[in-house]
Amino acid sequence: MNKKKGMDLLQKQSRAGWIFLAPATLMIAVMNFWPMISAFFTSLKTGSSANMQWAEPIFYNYARMFADKLFQRSIINTFLYLAIQVPIMLVLAILLAQLLNNKDLKLKGFFRTCVFLPCATALVSYSLIFKSLFATEGLINTILVNLHILSENYNFLGNPASAKAVIIIALIWRWTGYNMVFYLAGLQNIEYSVYEAAKIDGANGWETFWGITVPLLKPTIIMTFIMSINGTLQLFDESVNLTNGGPANSTITMSHYIYNNTFGTSVANFGYATAMAFVVFIMVGVLAFINLKVGDTRD
Amino acid sequence: MKKRLISTLLVGTMTLSLAACGGGSSSGSGNGGSSSGGGSSASAGNENTLTVYAWDPAFNIPAIQAAADAYKADVNPDFVLDIREQSQSSDVETAIKTAASAGKYDTLPDIVLFQDHWIQQYISDYPDAWQDVNDVDINWDDFSAEKLDYSTIDGVHYGIPVDGGTVITAYRVDLLEEAGYTIDDLTGISWEEFIEIGKAVKEKTGKYLMCMDGDGNDLVYLMLQAEGVSQFKDGKPYITENETLKEVVQTIVDMSKAGVLLLTNNWSDYTDKAIQGDQVAGVMNGNWIIPTIQKVEANSGKWEITSMPTLKGGKEGYASNGGSSLYITANCKNVELAKDFLAYTFGGGEGAKATYDNALKNGGVVSTYAPAGESEVYNQGVAYFNNTPIYADIVEMGTHVQIIEQSPYHYTCRTQLAAAIVNVINGSDLETELKNAEDQLNFAMGN
Repeated sequence: MNKKKGMDLLQKQSRAGWIFLAPATLMIAVMNFWPMISAFFTSLKTGSSANMQWAEPIFYNYARMFADKLFQRSIINTFLYLAIQVPIMLVLAILLAQLLNNKDLKLKGFFRTCVFLPCATALVSYSLIFKSLFATEGLINTILVNLHILSENYNFLGNPASAKAVIIIALIWRWTGYNMVFYLAGLQNIEYSVYEAAKIDGANGWETFWGITVPLLKPTIIMTFIMSINGTLQLFDESVNLTNGGPANSTITMSHYIYNNTFGTSVANFGYATAMAFVVFIMVGVLAFINLKVGDTRD
Repeated sequence: MKKRLISTLLVGTMTLSLAACGGGSSSGSGNGGSSSGGGSSASAGNENTLTVYAWDPAFNIPAIQAAADAYKADVNPDFVLDIREQSQSSDVETAIKTAASAGKYDTLPDIVLFQDHWIQQYISDYPDAWQDVNDVDINWDDFSAEKLDYSTIDGVHYGIPVDGGTVITAYRVDLLEEAGYTIDDLTGISWEEFIEIGKAVKEKTGKYLMCMDGDGNDLVYLMLQAEGVSQFKDGKPYITENETLKEVVQTIVDMSKAGVLLLTNNWSDYTDKAIQGDQVAGVMNGNWIIPTIQKVEANSGKWEITSMPTLKGGKEGYASNGGSSLYITANCKNVELAKDFLAYTFGGGEGAKATYDNALKNGGVVSTYAPAGESEVYNQGVAYFNNTPIYADIVEMGTHVQIIEQSPYHYTCRTQLAAAIVNVINGSDLETELKNAEDQLNFAMGN
């Protein structure tokens, strides 16, 4: 009857588990959760950052967003990028992955590296490169004019529609390879025998793709979707460096607008900025939740 | 048992060391001057040393260095001015913003160079970050009243002016001649006449007679100031009911549509492509734009400067844009030395002549200190500008600039109006766009 004296094995294991967990939990709490809570309190305050007061009424900053046309435009812009760029990018990624997963393909490693390489460039540098490519005197204009597709140099970044298009093209270039790698990893987990079986049953390429590849890749697709949605909603570097939100705020993203409200070009308004950041956080959460529910096949 | 003890110890030390790392950064700066482990405290804390933040090694840093040399030579041989170069003016603004938000001013230097258009907002938002210079022995009347208007809040002086932003309108006289005009034809004219001349120049030479960064469009402010009108009235936006502003915006739109005005997408396109890429025959901005123009050596001797056109014409227009002043921060321990240094040099003391002469020679910094314009250095002809004494002209023009209402929301207003102009050029209705801009500005100001 040792029970009263010490702990039984289960208790000991559970205690060891807690001891192992404690340092990490503590650090996450202090470095992650505490700032989040503190940020929430900040979002309820107004005034200059040196002397912030509780807002009156308390949800003033949140109510303010409904009257803020520029914030609404930034939401529309961001969701436009999301709606156009994410589907194109993921379809391209899955097609590229399918191509590069071909067993008989030569120089596979080389092609994979090429497609993945854009992800190795820093966000700011690739934005600046696209900016100079699409400048009025830039390479793209020179090529298009010399090919007689354009009669004179076109100011791509100076027109709302084309500036948005340039950002979307840049995003696709940067992120397709990144998502492709996930699909490649997913494809390699699919047994080749499954495909062989399908072939024997007389399925063509299209049917195999929709009948085998897509269903078996589903977890990967959902993951890339959530990551892309999350990433696009927090889009910042491209908006700042490629177009600086212009022309006339037609390409500004939510994060860029939040930044402008703190360290950017307008008056420092930390309370309002954190309130907007919380709204973005809720949007990401809701979208991820919907995605998980839609993608979940378990009953 | 032993193993467990060791692993517990390991985990313990790891946690401790991590915690120490996390806390290290805050405690390092907490002790101010005495700890200075990573040089976190920018204040000197030495009785003969001052630190200062400035940002342009080709412009304002040589000017401040000139002041330091003058003070060291005449007053205090042990004086050391530690100029810490920042990569851009906004770095100084961020330094103030972060220090004041955290309530820890000991990260600041003794003195900062600060942009005029921003200072009012920073003094009203962070009043504890500054020390006023009201009791300094300076004859304030020697400075342009318009310049002092920025650094004076409720009658209290906070800053010592360094460079002025007096606006010049520079033209390529060779291109004007090609189109059959001289620079006198462009002096004291109306914007309407300007557009007509601009069309002729464009036709003959293919160059734009005016250019501006379309994203940070200063034209509205400049053209309004030449009329003596502000974008603000009694602290509120003054846009939709401001007939002069409407006329100015309409003129800008007309200029752009007539191919007379080149609006670039961003600042670097403005300086590198429009001005230095030889696309323009005219530039209008604060005189700090001169070094940018001068970078194209091939055009030496082909430029000249004059005043601005106005809406009605028949008189010359004057404005001011940008410029900066030196401010003493809350972290300055040796305020007496800082005040004495500033008064002796930039403030118009005995070292003022040496300071301003060398500031102009080494950095091209043009002051708004009226007696400086009498110095021979200011009155020499400048080869790049066809041997005309442009610096004396600039100081003279600076005395004519009218004082208009300033606002902490200057740049917010500029952004909104720039957006409105782009939209109107792209086909939107002027009234609607100005209404939007005013609403957005009111919103930002919390009205």
